[in-house]
Amino acid sequence: MLKTSRALLLLGLLGSSLVHAMDYRIETVTSGLEHPWSLAFLPDGRMLVTERVGRLRIIEQDGSLNPQPVGGVPKGFVAAQAGLMEVMLDPDFASNQQLYLSYAYGTAEANNTRLAKACLVDGQLQDVQVLFSALPAKKGAAHYGGRMAFLPDNTLVLTLGDGFDWREQAQNTSNHLGKIVRLNRDGSIPKDNPLRGQAGVAEEIYSFGHRNVQGIVYDDQLKRLYSHEHGPRGGDELNLIEPGINYGWPLITYGIDYSGAQISPYTELPGLQQPLLHWTPSVAPSSLTQYRGALFPEWQGDLFASTLAERSVRRIRLHNGKLAGQEVLFEELGERIRDVRGGPDGALYLLTDNAKGRLLRVVPSQ
Amino acid sequence: MPSKSRTLLHFLLAVLLTSVLGAVLQTQFNLANLQALGAPIPLMVRLHTTGLDLLGFSPTFAVLVICGFVFALPLAVRLARNWPAGRWLVFALAGALAVWSALTLANALLPMPTLIAANRSLAGTAGLMASGSLGALLFAMLRRPVAPAQS
Repeated sequence: MLKTSRALLLLGLLGSSLVHAMDYRIETVTSGLEHPWSLAFLPDGRMLVTERVGRLRIIEQDGSLNPQPVGGVPKGFVAAQAGLMEVMLDPDFASNQQLYLSYAYGTAEANNTRLAKACLVDGQLQDVQVLFSALPAKKGAAHYGGRMAFLPDNTLVLTLGDGFDWREQAQNTSNHLGKIVRLNRDGSIPKDNPLRGQAGVAEEIYSFGHRNVQGIVYDDQLKRLYSHEHGPRGGDELNLIEPGINYGWPLITYGIDYSGAQISPYTELPGLQQPLLHWTPSVAPSSLTQYRGALFPEWQGDLFASTLAERSVRRIRLHNGKLAGQEVLFEELGERIRDVRGGPDGALYLLTDNAKGRLLRVVPSQ
Repeated sequence: MPSKSRTLLHFLLAVLLTSVLGAVLQTQFNLANLQALGAPIPLMVRLHTTGLDLLGFSPTFAVLVICGFVFALPLAVRLARNWPAGRWLVFALAGALAVWSALTLANALLPMPTLIAANRSLAGTAGLMASGSLGALLFAMLRRPVAPAQS
């Protein structure tokens, strides 16, 4: 009886995985991208892709890569994890052609993350304005964050990193290391930012105690802001972001250092927010989106996190706003996935992270 | 002349001492940073964390120490032969520089800016180097030339 039950269970699991394997088809849209980092869909059907090496590229409606990079991109600091990161269109892009870029600024000795706004006109960026520069400028080329999202009040949140060697500074609210910041579209500080008016704080801060936040998405139905961040060895986190909250790094963590050393004896302490979930061992989450397309009805409202170390996309199922399990997708590619987006056509789009990176489209197999 | 196996044993004991001291130091520097942020670190937590680092961190540090000592200690032996009066100083410096060189090389070769957290500060780096000195001095002490027995 027990054996029969086990066999049925095994068959069920096997059947389930086969269904998933047959559910979708992955198509290559564009190849030849050098460490692509971020994807944005233009209203005319073209796409913008950043390459970490400092180029902004246009992918035409037919998927061909425009050989001429977009001109006028601000020159940033390119090394290791540093470079051009996210491109995000203004909510009113169709009328104002404005977009936002995050990138590393400075030199090997003194650098951090910067946010700029520009107008895209005839394949060129014009009127480039620096809106925000994270401070202090620090040494090294790691942990920049760099993801963005708009909130319903048209303020934007920008994720930052702790610069790796400055992890304790994630708890210091007088600087931007290890923070998520919230800005108006002109770079000014919103009047209702949670720490605004407090003496000695960086008033752009929206939340703090982060390590390296590389995914953020606003759920406009449930009015929730989700983010994920890289842990060290273990302890990657999915968080529900609320204003003024301390997410604990490095006082609490589920990870340990790459050297094997303890980072903290604690996974919980009073006053420090727990993650919704943590990935241990690390998957290295690199971007986060929420699926709202029509092609995959069963994915509706679920979160999708691309991963570098696991070389997959994690589907995080949400049921009435609560976590309802995970599914590991697209492992068959065997590639680091840098970005995952839901396209206007309902397909899921992926950017693979390597020197010959690709833009992939995931569509139903039928 | 010590046998090869005795020399290897002395070498491994020097590596062990340096690795243990380095691990204990790494823990204390890290816990001091957390205390400065307001974390409570009672004695039992300190001891437990130190124990975890002895198990989890010291093997990594030991690899670096071996990489440094394998060059530094034979060199120190030669130099000390030519300068017997400076023997202890030679080994102390050799141990410290071996650790510093290994840390610098690891940071240059590995993707993370600084492999070992204590190495982020001058005091932490000096502490790790001092661990190397003590390990090298243990090696020197174990290999100390024995005075001929008087008949």
